[in-house]
Amino acid sequence: MISTNKITFSYNKDQVFYMPDLYCEAGNTILITGDSGKGKTTYLHILGGLLQPTTGTIEINKENMLALSEKKLDKFRGKNIGIVFQKSHFVSALTVLENLEMASWLATGKKNSVRAKRLLEQLDVANQANKLPSQLSIGQQQRVSIARALMNEPKVLLADEPTSSLDDKNAEKVIELLTSLSKEYKAALVIVTHDSRIKEKFINKITLI
Amino acid sequence: MIAKLAWKNIWFKPLNTILSVVLLTSSVAIITTLVLVEKQFEEKFTKNIDGVDLVMGAQGSPLQLILSSVYHVDAPTGNISYDSAKVWMQHPFVEKAIPLAFGDNYRGFKILGTTADYLEKYEAKIAEGKIFENNFEVVIGSKIAQKLSLTIGDEFFGSHGGAAEGHVHEEYAYKVVGIAAPTGKVVDNLILCTIPSVWQMHGDHGSIESENPAHGEEGHVHVEGDDQDHNHHHDLTLDEPGMEITAVLLKFRNKMGIVTWPRIIAQNTKMQVASPALEVNRLFSLFGIGIQAMQYLAYGIMLISGISIFIALYNTLKERKNEFALLRVNGAKRMQLMQLVLIESLLLCIVGFIFGTILGRVSILWISASSEQDFKMSFNPYEFLWDKEGVLFLLTIGVGVVAALIPALKAYKLNISKTLANA
Repeated sequence: MISTNKITFSYNKDQVFYMPDLYCEAGNTILITGDSGKGKTTYLHILGGLLQPTTGTIEINKENMLALSEKKLDKFRGKNIGIVFQKSHFVSALTVLENLEMASWLATGKKNSVRAKRLLEQLDVANQANKLPSQLSIGQQQRVSIARALMNEPKVLLADEPTSSLDDKNAEKVIELLTSLSKEYKAALVIVTHDSRIKEKFINKITLI
Repeated sequence: MIAKLAWKNIWFKPLNTILSVVLLTSSVAIITTLVLVEKQFEEKFTKNIDGVDLVMGAQGSPLQLILSSVYHVDAPTGNISYDSAKVWMQHPFVEKAIPLAFGDNYRGFKILGTTADYLEKYEAKIAEGKIFENNFEVVIGSKIAQKLSLTIGDEFFGSHGGAAEGHVHEEYAYKVVGIAAPTGKVVDNLILCTIPSVWQMHGDHGSIESENPAHGEEGHVHVEGDDQDHNHHHDLTLDEPGMEITAVLLKFRNKMGIVTWPRIIAQNTKMQVASPALEVNRLFSLFGIGIQAMQYLAYGIMLISGISIFIALYNTLKERKNEFALLRVNGAKRMQLMQLVLIESLLLCIVGFIFGTILGRVSILWISASSEQDFKMSFNPYEFLWDKEGVLFLLTIGVGVVAALIPALKAYKLNISKTLANA
């Protein structure tokens, strides 16, 4: 589960973002919506520990993430937070399977190949395991990023516009996979989106204004 | 895992990698070759002058005198009278004097008239057979025995002068009585006999002064015919008056002689004495300029390879920003990204160094093959100079570290959020 309290953030003195508090139980989903420029991605980066907010607290499994030192935060992020980005990024020199193994090695020091293969199977990309990421279609790449985000059984799964570059069919599939897998792996799922195709599907919504 | 990723990364962009490795390989190869050749060349040259303080010979270029009489790589300066040389050879300052008379050659290998002291000076033991005692008995160097597959008891005719194609002396046959043990010095490639053998081979004693000039490659006109008959009758000895030799290797008991003799001999005789150490130093300093120029060139190439690595890392950093950010998201520490960039650069350098070391030795094999043919001088490609090559290795690593410094710092300072937001 994840909860935030009175988070503010500013890139400069003129503009201060007041991020609404959120609370999301394991297995549940919360949607953050809003027009562009309202700080959706900023909020997601704060939740993911990639940006340090000016004030406020973030608790993930009752632990205040913002109180951690940078080194500890790196480790914490690797273990507890999975992020799916709008555009998939991979280590291009490594195969799909190696990319997943790298994710588990960086967080835990162990290559969890068994889990990587199972996730790829669940996401229907097992036959692509030994290909380079660049050889996959965009839809497949997005599914591999979901697999990678779930590699270390995170407590929180963050998704930044996961469907914006996908067609209707793939978008629906990705959303379905995200919700079902976060339930299965007991992760709190936070989706940042302005995609109207998925807004109707969820009840828990926070709109940034 | 980081090292594995670094390895995969450098081969993901093979062209960049190959360029950097090729540049590094060539600079390391050039430096390795120069260092090894220079060291072994100097070693060979100094090894041969051990125990020779001065060389006495005919007037001319002192360097030529040294090259011809010590290293046997040049034509002699001319002949000197053995009678007048003897005066100086018996001087109390002199500890040992080894007379040399250049004779003929057998299939390109020089036949040298000398005394048993010559073998002793080079610490060449007789591996098989005995030392030459009578005229036309020869002791052959180990390399000759091996190359021409000569054994004890074999007989052969010499060709005149230094060229293998010269006139063949069929009057007397040389007989192999001994084979010297290998020494790594010039004696390995020489055929040694008594000085009177050389005199007798070249006929009519007494008139030798007028008819037996320097045995250069041009050779001389041989007087064969009328006088021949009586030459056969008796064997010449070292006590024969009015004969000529080519040079004398001198070792001094009194070091004063080394300093004073060059002037004394030049003023009082038609001969000269030259110091091998001095001449060889002069030769090295001449070579040194060339070697230094080559070395600068090699270091220049190394600098370029460093720049090439830097550019390659810097360029890929831009496109790999997202990868780095992603690794951070997955739990990588800043230090690990820095390590990744450094290891990539170091891998290139190590690969370049290994290839360079190998290539350098291949080129020494080539150089050795041709110098063996032309100068009877071979180089050992399997020798490792741990100190100099160690320094070269550290230098290569240093280039890698410096080239990776800025890219590694950039990776360290990477702002994950900004990078991912702008992607």
